[in-house]
Amino acid sequence: MNSAVLLLILLGYLGILFFIAHWAEKKENVKWTNNSYVYSLSLAVYCTAWTYYGSIGVAANSGLSYLPIYIGPIIIIPAWIIILKKIIRISRVNKISSIADFISLRYGNSRFLGAIVTVVCLAGILPYIALQLKAISETFHIVTKTNSSSYIFDDTTTYVAVALALFASYYGTRYVDASEKRKGIVTAVALESILKLVFFLIIGIYVTFFVFDGYEDIYAKASLLENFKEKNTIGGLEQGLNWFFLSMVSLFAIFLLPRQFQMSVVENNRERHIKTAIWLFPLYLLLFNLFVYPIAWGGNVLFEGKNVNADTYSLLIPQFFDNKILTVLVFLGGFSAAISMIVVSSISLSTMLSNNLLIPYSFLGKLRNEEQTINNKKIVNIRKIGIFSLIIGAYFIYRFFALDYSLVSIGLISFVIIAQLAPAFFGAIFWRRGSRMGAIYGILIGFVICVYTLLLPYAIGLTNNESSFVSEGFQKIALLKPFQLFGLDYLQPVPHALFWSMLFNSLTYFAVSVSFKGNYRERNYAEMYVDIDKYSTNHENAFVWKGTAYTRDIEKVLIRFLGEERTKRAMNIFNVKYNVDKNQELADARLVKFAENLLTGHIGTASARILISSVVKEEKITLPEVLKILEESKENITINKKLTETSNQLQKITSELQKANETLVRKDVQKDEFLDTVTHELRTPITAIRAASEILHDDDEIPEELRKQFLQNIISESDRLNRLIDKILDLEKFETGKQTIHPTQNDIIATIENSIEPLQQLIKNKNISVYVESKDQILAFYDEDRIIQVITNLLSNAIKFCPETEGLITIQVKKKENFIETSVQDNGKGINPNDFDVIFDKFYQASNQNFKKPVGSGLGLAICKQIIEHHKGKIWVESSIKGACIVFTLPVKNIEN
Amino acid sequence: MKKILIVDDEPNIVMTLEYTFKKSNCEVFIARDGQEALDILKTNFPDVIILDIMMPMVDGFATLEQIRKDANLQHTKVMFLSAKNKESDIEKGLALGADAYMTKPFSIKKVVEKVEELLA
Amino acid sequence: MKKRHQQKLVVLSLLLLLALNLPIVLLFDSSESFLGFPIIYIYIFSAWLFSVLMSWIVVQRYYE
Repeated sequence: MNSAVLLLILLGYLGILFFIAHWAEKKENVKWTNNSYVYSLSLAVYCTAWTYYGSIGVAANSGLSYLPIYIGPIIIIPAWIIILKKIIRISRVNKISSIADFISLRYGNSRFLGAIVTVVCLAGILPYIALQLKAISETFHIVTKTNSSSYIFDDTTTYVAVALALFASYYGTRYVDASEKRKGIVTAVALESILKLVFFLIIGIYVTFFVFDGYEDIYAKASLLENFKEKNTIGGLEQGLNWFFLSMVSLFAIFLLPRQFQMSVVENNRERHIKTAIWLFPLYLLLFNLFVYPIAWGGNVLFEGKNVNADTYSLLIPQFFDNKILTVLVFLGGFSAAISMIVVSSISLSTMLSNNLLIPYSFLGKLRNEEQTINNKKIVNIRKIGIFSLIIGAYFIYRFFALDYSLVSIGLISFVIIAQLAPAFFGAIFWRRGSRMGAIYGILIGFVICVYTLLLPYAIGLTNNESSFVSEGFQKIALLKPFQLFGLDYLQPVPHALFWSMLFNSLTYFAVSVSFKGNYRERNYAEMYVDIDKYSTNHENAFVWKGTAYTRDIEKVLIRFLGEERTKRAMNIFNVKYNVDKNQELADARLVKFAENLLTGHIGTASARILISSVVKEEKITLPEVLKILEESKENITINKKLTETSNQLQKITSELQKANETLVRKDVQKDEFLDTVTHELRTPITAIRAASEILHDDDEIPEELRKQFLQNIISESDRLNRLIDKILDLEKFETGKQTIHPTQNDIIATIENSIEPLQQLIKNKNISVYVESKDQILAFYDEDRIIQVITNLLSNAIKFCPETEGLITIQVKKKENFIETSVQDNGKGINPNDFDVIFDKFYQASNQNFKKPVGSGLGLAICKQIIEHHKGKIWVESSIKGACIVFTLPVKNIEN
Repeated sequence: MKKILIVDDEPNIVMTLEYTFKKSNCEVFIARDGQEALDILKTNFPDVIILDIMMPMVDGFATLEQIRKDANLQHTKVMFLSAKNKESDIEKGLALGADAYMTKPFSIKKVVEKVEELLA
Repeated sequence: MKKRHQQKLVVLSLLLLLALNLPIVLLFDSSESFLGFPIIYIYIFSAWLFSVLMSWIVVQRYYE
């Protein structure tokens, strides 16, 4: 393959990436870019050229030990649901843009700590970037079958590095606010993750099924090679320990690597996306690793005896079979893996560099006094130059330090260095007592041990046996042998270094943290981190700060970086959120925190704090005071919640009470009206009785006929009175639920006949005809006595209303599915439609104050209604052309069943 | 001979009043409700009207309003005889122009006394 | 997601910690072939796949 052609292919590939990044940045494509799959795939930036090439090298040469790099992540990823969620929440609330910010903010927004973390990251990651470039360069030469040129400008990788540097510095600094999402980069990385996996799977399938005849074939041939058994088993306890430590280091790496923090935390849009990442990312890693073993051992078989770099088996094998296309595809896969790492790492390193080293320690003075647009430009430029320099710097490291070590060893050293951040990092989110001094000393000690046990020996050279440093220890003290520190001799260099550095690092961290109280600010942030769930909605409230500050001063600072308009908007939001008068001159703790947050995105937490504290006057506040305030605010939050709940409940109860009151008042009025009418009704027969009795008593000369008449009156009025009283009591029983009915299966037609019977005389007297429109049996479920009462009442009304001549009453029964409908129709003067509902009221009264004297006692229909409703039926007036028609329903079956 | 109009829808009560006043040599007219009463009053002008309040169609109050608009009945005395005995009812009755108000149940003797008073 | 369901995932992590490290992983430490793969690989990848499945199930069912 021609160099030029391959270079063109590469440039074309980079062009596609540019295009994807550009497309993703467009607003209308948000729904493609803001989804959990893109997020989960972007995390696969974890798999670099180390995974792509290096794993095969390890598998071929030393067996299983390529796996622990993934075991760590696999173990801890399910727990991401708690841990990563917490980290994301803290970062979102505080607008954190890098791991240096995260750690330094937690320990009291310490500028120094931020700087240390940045230095550690640089030390760990720059060589790692160099590695990727080395991989690109070497594989490029393999594919083009050229040799690497010692003249730098002749080497094509130089130009690739430059192109990459330009791409990253442009797309990585599109927004000044470092906490704004870089959709373009994320999408491009996700795409690359897919490509590298696909190409890797292709080569894997090719080797397994085309070069060989499947897994068994490879096994059969490979097992004949020497050391096969050894290399494909873990070994014994010692190796098991090594395995354990290696998986621990990768467990830390998945959190602490700047590129991982960038993708999983800073670029996270929705906490929800974690849900997919929890299974998709491990699945991705699984698929990626499936074919490592076949390729490695297939290569071992094919190239047995030849001295080739096993890292590049995946290229050498297709090349061996002259499969140009496949070779290029594999190369592109490795290229993707390398460049995603380079781009993302350089962006995050540059952010850390600018926010935690450059700006706080030198540029802040210049920025403080400039206009917003100039400031923004300066910041962006600092970052752009940073990214560019880092990549180019890494390239020089690669060229001039001629890294002879395998990809794997450099990578692992990088992991161990990064792991020094672990105690401070995990302590930040779980341990309130973790202090700044503890973090600083811990990291420093850990780093020193790393240097002693790893960097120094490697720098001197593993193969340089002349050095007594490695073989005999510092100043020939046996216990200080860098690879067998304090006599620990059964761990390999990397796990060994990890063990000792972690041990001293954590012990120092814990010991210093518990021995020396941190200052109040650390403690404040400690609360906000560890209890983030309580504070996430109004975290500004959690910030404890005492002093004097003027809103105007703070606004001035903000304007320098956000500009007039944005500052105004932000202040509005703040005032609305906390119900603060916008003319309030004095700023409180919440505004201070709010302002710091706003600036953090641009210049990092440390610089933001420096800037703000330069325009406000802070008062010393003791630790106990802070703790008290925090306790109080925690209580307040719970009390507030309870108060809101209680208040809501109270509102509900109050409205219910109001309704109940209204009902009571209404019923009271009704009761008064009822009593009025009842007494009136009762007095009427009593009047007749009294008058007649008085006459009979006083008058001796009354004619016999009249005397008998009056006596008869007395009797009938007494009866009337009695009936009235009965009806009232009946009604009362029904209404208060004391009345019981005893329904049974009955024939309604028979019941109707029974009701008509006693009224026959009256009917005949008034010349009324009564028709019952059904002679058959119709069964229903009701209390016969009561229904007789109802029908009798309806009939009496009908009789009263019927005209003098040709009165006609029709009784009809209709059978419906679950009930029967009985109607009583007369041809009298009918009922006013307005009164259809009211006539069933007790002593029904028209809506205006003119009392209409009720027909009969006025209680009859009210009682009918009660009876029918007790039967779970309905009674109403049906409109008819002539006369009144009252209909009621009864159930066919016992509803209880 | 004095003329009396009795307006009440309860026949048994009317019967007692009718007997009593016929015995006192009065000419007695009967109406069952307000409408009937007003019809009778178009052509007859009694000296006293005994007026119930709770009646179908047109009640006592409405009837009195009409009566008081009638020039021919200026000298006619009207007495309410009703079971409605709340102060507000009595006030209303008197305000509408009744000359007396008696409550049911009544004593025949007292009614006669009152009527004699009104006729005097 | 409710706390107790989150804890299911944490338990899964702990299980993996035990299953993929000594002493348990050493129980399967053999390069004998099973379907062309050394047994140790089969074990590790099975545990791996199991964790992916479990995570998927828990998250599908309980994440509102």
